[in-house]
Amino acid sequence: MSAPAARPAAGDRFRRYALRNASLLLSYLVLTVMGLYYVGYAAGHGQLSVFSVTSVFNNTMPLLVAAIGQTMVVLTGGIDLSVGSIISLSNSLAAVHMQDSAGSVLAWSGLILLIGAAAGAANGALVAVGRIQPILVTLASLSVWAGVALFVLPQPGGAIPPGFTALLAGNAWQIVPASAVVLGALIVFWIVFRRTGLAVALYAVGNDERSARANGVPVAAAKIAAYTLSGLFAALAGLYLSAVTTSGDATTGAVYTLTSIAAVVLGGVSLFGGRGSATGSMAGAFVLTLIVNILFFANINPLLQEFFQGLVLILAMAASVLVNVVLGRTG
Amino acid sequence: MPRIEAIDVSKSFGGVHALQEASFEADGGEVHALVGENGAGKSTLIKILSGLLRPDDGQLRVDGQAARIDRPAAAQRLGIGTVFQELTLLPHMTVAENLLLRREPRDRFGLIRPRELARQAAELLAGLGLREIDADGVMSGLPLAQRQLVEIAKVVSRAPRILLFDEPTSALAEREVMWLMALIRRLRDEGRTVVFTSHRWNEVHDISDRITIFRNGQRVGTFAAADVDENRAVELMTGRHMSALFPPLPPLGAPEPVLEVRGLASGRVQDLGLTLHRGEILGIGGLQGQGQRDLFLSLFGARRLRAGTIAIHGRRVALRHPRDAIGAGIGIALVPEDRKVEGLFLPMSVRQNMTLPVLGALSRLGYVDLRRETDTVGRMIDQLAIRTTGPDQIVGALSGGNQQKVLIGRWLVTNARILLLYDVTRGVDVATKHDIYDLVTALSADGRAILYYSSDTAEMAHLCHRVLVMREGRAATELRGHEITADALVRASLRLGGEVPA
Amino acid sequence: MADQPQAAAGRPPRSIDPVRRSIALTFGAALLLFLIGGVIQPGFLRPTNVFSVLVVASFIGFVAAGQSLVILTGGIDLSVAWVINAGGVMLTSLAAGSDLSAAWVVPATLCMGLGVGLANSLGIVFLEVPPVVMTLGMNGIMQGLVLGLTNGFTSSSAKAYAPRVVSQAVNGVLPGGVPVDLLLWTAVAAALWVVLSRLTFGRWIYALGNNPVAAYLAGGHTRRITVLVYMLAGGFSAFTGIILAGYAGQATLGAGDPYLFASIAAVVIGGTSILGGRGHYFGTIAGAMILTVLTDVLTLMSIPEAGRSILYGLAILAALLIYGRQPEDV
Repeated sequence: MSAPAARPAAGDRFRRYALRNASLLLSYLVLTVMGLYYVGYAAGHGQLSVFSVTSVFNNTMPLLVAAIGQTMVVLTGGIDLSVGSIISLSNSLAAVHMQDSAGSVLAWSGLILLIGAAAGAANGALVAVGRIQPILVTLASLSVWAGVALFVLPQPGGAIPPGFTALLAGNAWQIVPASAVVLGALIVFWIVFRRTGLAVALYAVGNDERSARANGVPVAAAKIAAYTLSGLFAALAGLYLSAVTTSGDATTGAVYTLTSIAAVVLGGVSLFGGRGSATGSMAGAFVLTLIVNILFFANINPLLQEFFQGLVLILAMAASVLVNVVLGRTG
Repeated sequence: MPRIEAIDVSKSFGGVHALQEASFEADGGEVHALVGENGAGKSTLIKILSGLLRPDDGQLRVDGQAARIDRPAAAQRLGIGTVFQELTLLPHMTVAENLLLRREPRDRFGLIRPRELARQAAELLAGLGLREIDADGVMSGLPLAQRQLVEIAKVVSRAPRILLFDEPTSALAEREVMWLMALIRRLRDEGRTVVFTSHRWNEVHDISDRITIFRNGQRVGTFAAADVDENRAVELMTGRHMSALFPPLPPLGAPEPVLEVRGLASGRVQDLGLTLHRGEILGIGGLQGQGQRDLFLSLFGARRLRAGTIAIHGRRVALRHPRDAIGAGIGIALVPEDRKVEGLFLPMSVRQNMTLPVLGALSRLGYVDLRRETDTVGRMIDQLAIRTTGPDQIVGALSGGNQQKVLIGRWLVTNARILLLYDVTRGVDVATKHDIYDLVTALSADGRAILYYSSDTAEMAHLCHRVLVMREGRAATELRGHEITADALVRASLRLGGEVPA
Repeated sequence: MADQPQAAAGRPPRSIDPVRRSIALTFGAALLLFLIGGVIQPGFLRPTNVFSVLVVASFIGFVAAGQSLVILTGGIDLSVAWVINAGGVMLTSLAAGSDLSAAWVVPATLCMGLGVGLANSLGIVFLEVPPVVMTLGMNGIMQGLVLGLTNGFTSSSAKAYAPRVVSQAVNGVLPGGVPVDLLLWTAVAAALWVVLSRLTFGRWIYALGNNPVAAYLAGGHTRRITVLVYMLAGGFSAFTGIILAGYAGQATLGAGDPYLFASIAAVVIGGTSILGGRGHYFGTIAGAMILTVLTDVLTLMSIPEAGRSILYGLAILAALLIYGRQPEDV
């Protein structure tokens, strides 16, 4: 018809990328700022050591892993409130059953992941086939799995094999936190996953479910997959929590439900679905943990921790909305 | 043997029969047009053939074999590609991601190759002559016309044997329409089947081999394009002679300006001025997406103005909220475009839907006076001949036409003297449509000032005293009286840039 | 054709009736559960026991009143837990057991709730923060404030006793055996009925929840409605905090925590759509009763907490499968 669109210059392409991923970049920015604050404070208190950095990573990992799973669900426009209970269940099962042998660790890890995935799949089926709103399905299943966790481990206790702890929460080559290695693997996972047909289906469903269906996207299957993955990652998060806390407690996971949502939101993922990246959620998880650490160094009453987390959550969301409005797009 | 057939297909929605034992067939290597009024069943038939809807009754056949087209994926597998009126594009994904959805180029691990995706998409667009569309652009950033082109490109590139287009040209300007016509001819020459619906007789006549006319959910005839002229077609579409379709327009007395707009800029409206007179029905024409909707919303206080003034009876009014418009001077009312999305509250009752804007007047200290409300609503039900079991019936249970009457009734209850009617006959059955025409002319005779927009140009041609055709946010052409014909309206809409003396 | 509207084959007209039907079903289920309790433990159906169960249900009922309004407009309030806690603590610490102080502390506490609700709504309306995020963040803010100001709930003010006048109001019994608390609940129910069924405000709530765009185009001040609704929710949460403190005699750490999910569950089981626009407080009342009686019956059956939790969740799922399903995409 007319002259071809000129191939945009590199600077132009970067600007376009920045515009399109404004919320994500904002979350990276926040993380960087927080990270610098933390390093500054920690160094100032003489607290910057392999141990403390490893602790930061270890404390973040359960939330981070859970947030990845939550991202899958939020991308489809849903929400998963049962994350906390599956973490509790995973932790309880590990504390009770995991024995101090490589075979037991492997077998039970696998079984626990499978159970998490199955719980997620049940959620997904109720959402996709039962056509019940996600917030309600996962609210109910939260109760169910919390009960199962309590059944497995009525009193806090149990034991986690030290080898397992060392594997996930220790240090590789003396200085690098094992968690950092796992984090690297998760980032690679996401980069690869992002390029699969399943990921495209998740984004499509979150963009516009009706349009996705009209284009032949298997909407129900995509949703079930999203929730299954969420359950799987929640179980993985529970395993991580077990390694870090070295014991079991059937109520320990509850707090992760809402904080995983907070991490996802801080990561620039849209609650309406169809936009965002799990790497942002990972950044969000770190931001939430760093807040706690920074407060500690700044000698602020640790009891005010939730206050700041809540405030940061709201401000980050407002900033994200503002950024999108300024860029001329609707949230 | 026809390539695609629908045999005695029926489909109802909540009491309304969209299709009643309708039949249709199209051959390979043919361009077949489906025409009929709004509500005649064309869209429904297309949706059924494309797998989006399932028929209540009847049979579908492809290449002579019975076909179960129970979902879009099934239709695609049978080689049917559809371009719907409501675009099926994913707004936050790029043009490339949309074009090659589910067909992305993969590497040997099965992973998508993003750069190859962008390259293939650009190539695809270029091959279709659409090089100016940027494959890396995000869908939501494109103007409506370009989005329609991308949707068409997406479907065509899947090389379906059967192509269904539902009103493909509603937002396309002349150049783009010509592109599409050339594309359709090429597809036909390749031996494919092209079925399309359109309101524009010229397009239909120029390009089709055969034309099927629908009325009231049934086929009333299939003709070779050469064998039927517009008059005959309209008669078959409406069951009436062309001249008996519309009520006579009330004559206008001495012009008395009621609403004056100067230099309006808001959304897609760039710089618009108009004067609406007492008793006048002023049409706003133009292609879809040229600013008509933003104009109507702005005049109702539902869109902020970047610039410009609005005056009622010479007095300036500031409209910052619909509530301002309802109470401004003699009252402005807007009957919006999509009654289900923007107008009605389907789970609520007729009375609740109808009295919302005037609840304040019908209540004391916030407490609703049910008796006065029942009176008011009852009178409106009678006046508009709304078929309902009573003011407490749930609006969702009414037929589309009666729902539209409830919505119109809501605004008549406000006694607004300036009415903004936006596509009020869309998706409405024939009988109700004629009721609405009668109502509009009666309101005009009563001295109300009416701004009117319709996607049906024939309707605008017969129902308006004057028409302003919008192009690119401005009132580009004005047509008066006998100058207003569907043909003239279309021609004025298609031209981009440059004014034509009225 | 525009004939008399007939139901299309097999599909009942979409109407309020499903809501009435589900409310009736929910009350029926509550009754059934009461009867089951009576079978399991003779004496369960004694008036004094029924009343005490209803009093516990009323706590959910109070919170869920605000939650009902918010959910009806299409929003949600995830801050109820810590506003309840804040309400209890504020009452006990400011009144320090004095009945005289209660005269100003109770209204002040309610104002705190209104204020939190106002903050929530301003964030939602002006900062365009989605309700889930805004109220979630507010919950954290309230948690931090309460824990910080009471030194982790260990300060002496936090441990103060609730004023007697409040305790008596909650635990008191009228001649005839009817608890005063149930009178309060009846008053709340009546107030909500008036609002939702008779006031213009109620119409706008349903309109906003059902179709925000249409509500705006019908001349509705959607922002004002949202602000009012969240303020009321905050007020009800604070009120519940006061009631709970009065019931237990003291403010308890985490008293409000179970009420987040309980309030949402009661609203939804009661037939209100989580998307807004349909439902009524009467359903919520029935939902609150079901949740309470269910917990009680399960306890009576000596089912440990683990089992109770599982059955609780399954019961909610069952209710959802019966009438919580969205219609299929036409």
